[in-house]
Amino acid sequence: MKRSIGSAAVVFLLALSLFPSPAFPVLYIDINAPGGKRMPIAVADFAVGPGDRSLSRGIPTILSADLALTDLFDLVPPTAHMERVTAAHFSGKPLSFPGWKMIGAEAVVIGLADVRGDRLSIEMRLYDATQGTLLLGKHYTGTPAQLRPIVHRFANEIVFTFTGVRGVFGTEIAFTARSRKSKGKELYIVGMDGRGLRKVTDNRSFNLFPRWSPDGQWVAYTSYRTGAPHVYLRNVSTGAEKEVVRFGGSKAPGGFSPDGVWLYAGVSQAGNSDIYRVRVVGGAAEKVVEGWGLEVSPSPSPDGRRIAFVSDRGGSPQVYVKTIGVAAETRISSGTNYATSPSWSPAGDRIAYTARSGGRFVVATVAPDGSDAREVASAADGDCEDPSFAPDGRSLVYTYRKRGYSALKIISSDGRRQRILVSGLGDAGSPAWSPGR
Amino acid sequence: MKGTCSWKWAVLALSVAALVAVGCAKKQTVKSEGTTGAPGAASAPGAVTEAPVKEAPVAVAPATPPAAAPGVAVTEEKLSRFDDVLFDFDQSVLREDGRKTSQVVADYLMRHSGAKLLIEGHCDERGTAEYNLALGERRATAVMTYLVSLGVPTADLSTVSFGEEKPLDSGHDEGAWAKNRRAHFVLK
Repeated sequence: MKRSIGSAAVVFLLALSLFPSPAFPVLYIDINAPGGKRMPIAVADFAVGPGDRSLSRGIPTILSADLALTDLFDLVPPTAHMERVTAAHFSGKPLSFPGWKMIGAEAVVIGLADVRGDRLSIEMRLYDATQGTLLLGKHYTGTPAQLRPIVHRFANEIVFTFTGVRGVFGTEIAFTARSRKSKGKELYIVGMDGRGLRKVTDNRSFNLFPRWSPDGQWVAYTSYRTGAPHVYLRNVSTGAEKEVVRFGGSKAPGGFSPDGVWLYAGVSQAGNSDIYRVRVVGGAAEKVVEGWGLEVSPSPSPDGRRIAFVSDRGGSPQVYVKTIGVAAETRISSGTNYATSPSWSPAGDRIAYTARSGGRFVVATVAPDGSDAREVASAADGDCEDPSFAPDGRSLVYTYRKRGYSALKIISSDGRRQRILVSGLGDAGSPAWSPGR
Repeated sequence: MKGTCSWKWAVLALSVAALVAVGCAKKQTVKSEGTTGAPGAASAPGAVTEAPVKEAPVAVAPATPPAAAPGVAVTEEKLSRFDDVLFDFDQSVLREDGRKTSQVVADYLMRHSGAKLLIEGHCDERGTAEYNLALGERRATAVMTYLVSLGVPTADLSTVSFGEEKPLDSGHDEGAWAKNRRAHFVLK
């Protein structure tokens, strides 16, 4: 009998893994219902070995901070917890689920962690407190320096368990900001939780338009380090660089094809800007969009078959969509005389862009066929520009600018929740959200 | 991308393998908690350690070493003997004042054969940087085309766009923006 429960769990996990949107009524959060029910979840203090006692509260703090960044969970405060988790809970002793249920938790996370020398070991489990069943269990090993990435990874698994879509904890945002030392702009990278801000380039030139490769290892960007704008690829871990787009005048990378083979870029020559795609290996180039106007800012769809881009062929810059290799190009922005910087959601269903509205710039999204346009981010006292979708398509990072002040903000795609990601750096802009981790 | 996917599938396969194995494992193992356990959980005999999949080590990026290249001082505004050619918002058409300024430049270049001129295209801070990069290129090219029409040899001219990156006036009002929408001349 017990065995059949085990088999059921296998089937359950299999289903969760294989189908993107499992229709399980039990403990499932409908992410498409705005203002829908949140999952009350408790993250208990971890049981820890003698290696590092601070992990007992330290890991739940990281995990809770992650979960609180979404609008999916209500965290039951640690002060309400009554049961102390010990190593015995990982070797057969059951949790007192009625107790957790009593303080309002429908889900409970427990963990066991220890550090021995340079080896960090963490086991984490997610339980359904109502059914008393294990929903998710993972054992991680790494170095103590990998603590945060490990916890982010488990937090992503928790979100996946409840929603069918992996979380975006541990992802990063590349952007540009003025350097204090020179008037140039350098590339920076910051974690999606606002931690780990670091400067990536330091060449006192203009370094612009960072775009992540699909494997998250490289950032393509435009640099003026030689005096003219050329496109380079930089490995964000090692700092290794190579030049990719070697022709034309002004060049700005727009995005990679999902297989990482092509880099799409706007290339200006003799005052006419067209869209090319360039092989990352080898550098062979193909023209993708051609016209008399300015054709810039290509953003590939997640299936790689289409691109969104900007053209001013109709007299003002507007966003268009086309299938690669097919002549037809459809305008999808409307109701504004200035629509630029499209960003195709990795979920595929929306395209975000910058729109001019009443003398200000706002962030809007629209379906790829041009229907259902919505304003997502606007400010009465400033401009909202340059949106970039998170890998789950559920939120966006954008630039907020107001008379010399600038900040990067993150907003949910329905426009309901927002927070400041980075402020205090001069002229921060051009944010690009990394792929999932 | 590909690598990540195949890795995920590998982990999934491992997880499934482990879980299936457990599903078929001894009753005693399952009994202890009534959920899934794993074979080979050595720490405590009979203990349940579900999904003991050792995930691949997480790659943590070391601090990136700064680029060695000192870079060219393109951030400095080079003083010009010529006035800037100014443009209207989102426009690259030369106005009357711009044509007069260009005439002065053309006269100079035709009197000084051998002089090389770089035309920088600039935009104000409004709108998207990528679009402004292309717009700056178009402004610089519009001026170059006009100079050529006045008789300046194409070979003496070159263009570069700085988009919205090098404002002449760092203010944030129409007065500043009007000065920043410009083509700037640099004699080389």
